[in-house]
Amino acid sequence: MKRYSEHRIPGRLFVVEGIDGSGKSTQLTLLHQWLKAEGFGVVFSEWNSSPLVKDTTKRGKKKQLLTPATFSLIHATDFADRTERNIIPLLKAGAVVLCDRYIYTAFARDVSRGMDPEWTRELYAFAVKPTIAFYYRVPLEIAMKRINDARAGFKFYEAGMDLGLSDDPNESFRLFQGRILDQYEKMIPEFGLTVIDATQPIEAQQQQMRQLVLAKLTQARQLRVAP
Amino acid sequence: MKETYGVSLPGMGLLDLVGKLIVIEGTDGVGRSTQIRLLKEWLEQEGHAVLDTGLSRSGLVGKSIKRAKEGHTLGRITLSLFYATDFADRLENEIVPALRAGFVVLTDRYTYSLIARAMVRGLDPAWIRNIHRFALKPDAVFYLRIGVDELIPRAVFTRGFDYWESGIDLYSTEDMYESFRRYQSALIEQFDKLAEEFHFEVIDARAEPHVIFGQLSRAIERLLVAGPRPAQLVAPAASTVPATSVAPAASIAPVPEVVPVGLAVVPDPIAITERSERAAERREKA
Repeated sequence: MKRYSEHRIPGRLFVVEGIDGSGKSTQLTLLHQWLKAEGFGVVFSEWNSSPLVKDTTKRGKKKQLLTPATFSLIHATDFADRTERNIIPLLKAGAVVLCDRYIYTAFARDVSRGMDPEWTRELYAFAVKPTIAFYYRVPLEIAMKRINDARAGFKFYEAGMDLGLSDDPNESFRLFQGRILDQYEKMIPEFGLTVIDATQPIEAQQQQMRQLVLAKLTQARQLRVAP
Repeated sequence: MKETYGVSLPGMGLLDLVGKLIVIEGTDGVGRSTQIRLLKEWLEQEGHAVLDTGLSRSGLVGKSIKRAKEGHTLGRITLSLFYATDFADRLENEIVPALRAGFVVLTDRYTYSLIARAMVRGLDPAWIRNIHRFALKPDAVFYLRIGVDELIPRAVFTRGFDYWESGIDLYSTEDMYESFRRYQSALIEQFDKLAEEFHFEVIDARAEPHVIFGQLSRAIERLLVAGPRPAQLVAPAASTVPATSVAPAASIAPVPEVVPVGLAVVPDPIAITERSERAAERREKA
């Protein structure tokens, strides 16, 4: 089993991180379109999407069966399945892999739920270190406004309702996501996350992102696939 | 009063876990379930409430693991984490509530089996141990030990060679016999190492079931008398009351004066017997 920074593979791995409403998924979608148009072999991998594990996670969430420990472990299982069957083979084949959320999401959430920080990091020791991990930093109030504008209400686990912080989903979301923001701030130096100011206009953020990504791709032009 | 192997889970109080956690470990087909059945019957006759449980039976993921294994598609890390999830679910939802209610929990395999399987599949030894550090330390672990030469006839004449018990996911061979032999030898080797690391009480599983039962029941009896049973301080009939109604009573029960710190060392006589038995064996061979 290779650990975090021990993987030596020809592909490139770019991940986006940030709280809900930070705009990270929008940014990653735009990057994806651009890379495809540029002729790169690019693959998108979503958090929480392993076909084997997804059903269990869904059932656990729907029936609210998950404790902080099983929440943490089932997500790690899902991520392991994607890593073993998807991310690592793709990177070995030289692909550009894009991940919407990565291990840092798990660290932020699990530690905010009271799990041991060192234990959660060890849990994900098999993960491949990303070429760049972008962190879309946004104040809580702006993120909440964006979410409220886009859809009605917060989901149970997303608002950390399992923790009993508050009976009011809005208040619970605020408290829980606040904890998550604190965790992200701690991880910036720990994992060398690349911070993007997510209050800027979408276009400005995207331009910044493309420049940083391009710098990592010029050394790897062979990654291009024939159109 | 219980402790973990170093990582505590949020919301899991350890102070009021007054029951006893007893683990039966050993490889496939060694007779664990027979012993658990006998022990449960005996303990209940003795007036102890018993929960028997095993691996891959959790409400959360038990079925998914079975399904995923049918497809033979799980990676090694994924399978290990799936098992760890299942284990955590059983620990939190079955084992801990039962211990809190003063039950004797008999578990058919525990975290050690999961570590052994991961080791055989070549995963990082430190990694898999660290993942399982949230496990509760049992009051006793009985390791039913058998050599692969004695194990094979049992498998042949009972249920045949099972796909996973033969580790066919590991070896590129069609030969079930060869695969079973290699896989089980590797597992036994890991169990032997874990036995030293985690101080298992080794029981010779080649003996007749009633002989093994005699050894196990004597050791468990000593374990149960070593510490006062707080459930009895509440009501003598506590063992017949369902877990849910016992829980509040047990949690307000006075803390026993004699904290059973010595429990871990109580079972020594067995280990000594085992050692002398092995020595006798060696003399015979010589």
